[in-house]
Amino acid sequence: MKFFFQGKTVEAKPGDSIAAALFRGGRRIFSRSFKYHRPRGLLCVAGSCPNCMMNVDGVPNVRTCVTPAQEGVRVKAQNAFPSLETDFLSASQHFDRLMPVGWYYKTFTHPAMWHAVEPIIRKAAGLGEVLPTRRVEYEHQWMHTDAAVIGGGWAGIQATWAIAERGDLVVLVDDQPSLGGSSLYRKNANDLPADAIAKLENMPNVRILQRSSCFGMYEGNLLGILQRNPHSHAVERLVHLRAKRIVVATGSYETPILFPNNDLPGVMLSTGAWRLLDLHGIVPGKRAVVVGSGAVANEMASKLRESGVEVAALVAATEIISARGTAQVTGIQTSTRNFSCDLIVVCGPHVPNAGLVSQAGGKLNWSDAQGAFLPGDLPSNVSVVGGAAGEMPPNAIPPLSTDKRAFVCLCSDVSCKDLCDGVNEGFDVIETLKRYTTATMGPCQGRMCQLSAIGICAKETGRTLGETGVTTSRPPNPSVTLGALAGPGHHPTRFTPMHSSHQRMGAVWMDMGGWKRSRYYKRHQAASESESVLLEHKSVREAVGVIDVSTLGKLDVRGRDAGKLLDLVYTHRFSELRVNQVRYALMCDQGGVILDDGTISRLSETRYFVTTTSGNLDFVQQWLQWQLVGKDWDVHICNVTPGYGAMNLAGPRSRDVLAKLAACDLSSAAFPYMACRESTIGEVPVILLRIGFVGETGWEIHCPAESAEEVWQMLLDAGKEFGVEPFGVEAQRLLRLEKRHVIVGVDTDALTNPYEAGLGWAVQLDKPDFVGKSLLAHAAKNQPREKLVGFILKGAGLPKDGAAVVMNGQPAGRVTSSRFSPIQNGAIGLAFVPVSEAREGASIQVRVGGELSPATVTMKPFYDPEGLRLRQ
Amino acid sequence: MSFLLPCPHCGQRSVYEFRFGGEVKDQPPLDAPESAWIDYRFYRTNTAGVQTEWWLHRFGCGQWMQAVRNTVSNEVLESFLPEEKGR
Repeated sequence: MKFFFQGKTVEAKPGDSIAAALFRGGRRIFSRSFKYHRPRGLLCVAGSCPNCMMNVDGVPNVRTCVTPAQEGVRVKAQNAFPSLETDFLSASQHFDRLMPVGWYYKTFTHPAMWHAVEPIIRKAAGLGEVLPTRRVEYEHQWMHTDAAVIGGGWAGIQATWAIAERGDLVVLVDDQPSLGGSSLYRKNANDLPADAIAKLENMPNVRILQRSSCFGMYEGNLLGILQRNPHSHAVERLVHLRAKRIVVATGSYETPILFPNNDLPGVMLSTGAWRLLDLHGIVPGKRAVVVGSGAVANEMASKLRESGVEVAALVAATEIISARGTAQVTGIQTSTRNFSCDLIVVCGPHVPNAGLVSQAGGKLNWSDAQGAFLPGDLPSNVSVVGGAAGEMPPNAIPPLSTDKRAFVCLCSDVSCKDLCDGVNEGFDVIETLKRYTTATMGPCQGRMCQLSAIGICAKETGRTLGETGVTTSRPPNPSVTLGALAGPGHHPTRFTPMHSSHQRMGAVWMDMGGWKRSRYYKRHQAASESESVLLEHKSVREAVGVIDVSTLGKLDVRGRDAGKLLDLVYTHRFSELRVNQVRYALMCDQGGVILDDGTISRLSETRYFVTTTSGNLDFVQQWLQWQLVGKDWDVHICNVTPGYGAMNLAGPRSRDVLAKLAACDLSSAAFPYMACRESTIGEVPVILLRIGFVGETGWEIHCPAESAEEVWQMLLDAGKEFGVEPFGVEAQRLLRLEKRHVIVGVDTDALTNPYEAGLGWAVQLDKPDFVGKSLLAHAAKNQPREKLVGFILKGAGLPKDGAAVVMNGQPAGRVTSSRFSPIQNGAIGLAFVPVSEAREGASIQVRVGGELSPATVTMKPFYDPEGLRLRQ
Repeated sequence: MSFLLPCPHCGQRSVYEFRFGGEVKDQPPLDAPESAWIDYRFYRTNTAGVQTEWWLHRFGCGQWMQAVRNTVSNEVLESFLPEEKGR
């Protein structure tokens, strides 16, 4: 198997991680550190420390020591220029005197100074950069189980068995490539029965999530789990796992010992050395010094000797003066003598991995006997077993250091001296020391440094470790990619039934409440959007046009009490609406604020057809249902939006077009303005509403969605001789603006009442009760502060929607909609102005492109103010 | 926020399936002073503790319900359909 590192081919054996393959090929430097660009090599080989982070196929900060090598992946080093071996910025460590702890808080105190240096610091310091990646897929999965076991070591396997044998459903979550935990490499530590894993895999009520990290425990017993490469089509899967009981079996991890140059490549944790030897068959060095004492160190030394490594010495942690070397370890100096070596194996203290326990509400208490913080005070549904519970050999607490080259935090280059300085500067509580120095806040989230940082804080403040306490563990830990949280890139889009017809006619799309709508149609006669819109406008005003309005919300409201409900939630009276009549419908909340508008048609004594604005359907339906709660009324509300296609045929020749198709008399005597009929077009049953949003004779035609494209085509065919043109949303907005028709949510906002919007005529205060009546009655009595008026711009230009209306040099109102109107041959619009200016002919000033432009207020529609055309 | 909310129709469901409808308040009488209506419409008690709330099971049965919830711990003590509460 081959992959690429810095463009060069690297050979890998089956089962190799990327880091193992690179190490076998002779690589010792795997990364450059965050601040000083010091060389760093493999340390934990377990995915805990930050030392092996690289960019893999464009994804930054990938722990290559636990990422299996795959054919053809492209691996790049991070934070190093020009190469890992020669990094120019490593010179910065010689200027460390200039960069003490918190140096940029102290140095760049003026905002201008910080803005000047920030880009330089951001580039020099840091971890990976986000490179353009191939498109990758992320998934989400939701699971429920009786019990979840986090950690697939021997303790986790035993716990899973015990629960599964009772018949409960168990999910076992393990972050390593295979189950077994530390039993896999320290074979004599815990004897894992040979058939243990196979037995587990064969249990029908056990589900194993491999290469999956549990990064957080949330309320409602929700576990966040990041599963890597769940299958070939997804890079990561976020599993939302609900478990009635949770067993934390996350084991313990080894942490470094503090001495100068403890971060050099070649200084390795003993568990890291074990893993290289047993999991990958790699001999980590030629001549080694083992730091530590007791059984653990002896065992390590004999393992190394068995593998052909010369063990120069076993030294106690207290004897070390410093490690020597620049790019790599070349020796170690102890209080008694010097050893030359290329490997220093450190047997550090083990820390129970109990972050999940404290997220669950448990406490971590210091145990002198164990030399560790042990979990306690667990919630009833959480238990902790194995290493995470402190079942491990007691730690001998290693010596501390005050040296500036003894690194506590490898993620952000925080040394022992930095922590001491931090305490001396007054950050003498572990939580503030953490924030000031950023120790424990890097990618390893304190795994490597927390115990050391607590130790130094305790020593410098003269407190015990128990008194100093631990920093708070918060999810996510380990880190989670944003892509996994965001999930799959599914953006459902709704098409109207006539979508493909629009496409054929050259529709330019716009997004509206999840729908695709035609903004305008491209035509060979029109060179630009505005020309197309003017052409569409002209055909509606002078001949006939047709627009797809299927996106309107449509509700079928039926029952003996349907009128009573509509009387309650809308401001007008609908129980008295005659059958076959349509009425404008305005809905307000209890504060009298406009929520929505539409039309209501009465199709029979007990059946109403309600339309809502396109994006507001769900809200309106929920609002109607909420108003019905607890009432014993006979009303049924059914959302029929997807079931009906709808189109508006409008223009002076619309009657000629529809008369060729519809099976009813369309004369104004038989079918007047604001009437509705159920009829047919061809064979298709339709509801015809004679309403006029655009201000011309016209019909809104609703028909079953499956026949809508057919009806649409029939209208276009029948209208050909009269010059019919399809028109889009942009032309519709211009047409309605000329009629001063308000669009709720565009011309009104979250505080507008009907009196301000000029819709007071739609409020029937003499109704016994309706939603908003009380405050609307008060609003009707008082003069509103501002009013929505029409304006005609005197000068050239077009104000933007939202532009300021200015009076005496002060902002006094705002433009809500504005368009160029061919009827007025200039810009017209709607604007909120102070009530003193809300009168015919008043002069206001509107901001247009940075200048103030005079405009005249009008209280009448700009086009056909008497409304004669739509009644023709 | 990731607690489970029991729906009287559908059982325990993730809170993300629901739309929050605010605390349950008594509507003032129609002839109440303007201030009482403004208070009803615009002010919230913002209880730290147990309160009764409206919830809509939006991505489920689509029905409005009420739940008694501790706003500090997100423990839901009970949930019910308002019309069935009094009977």
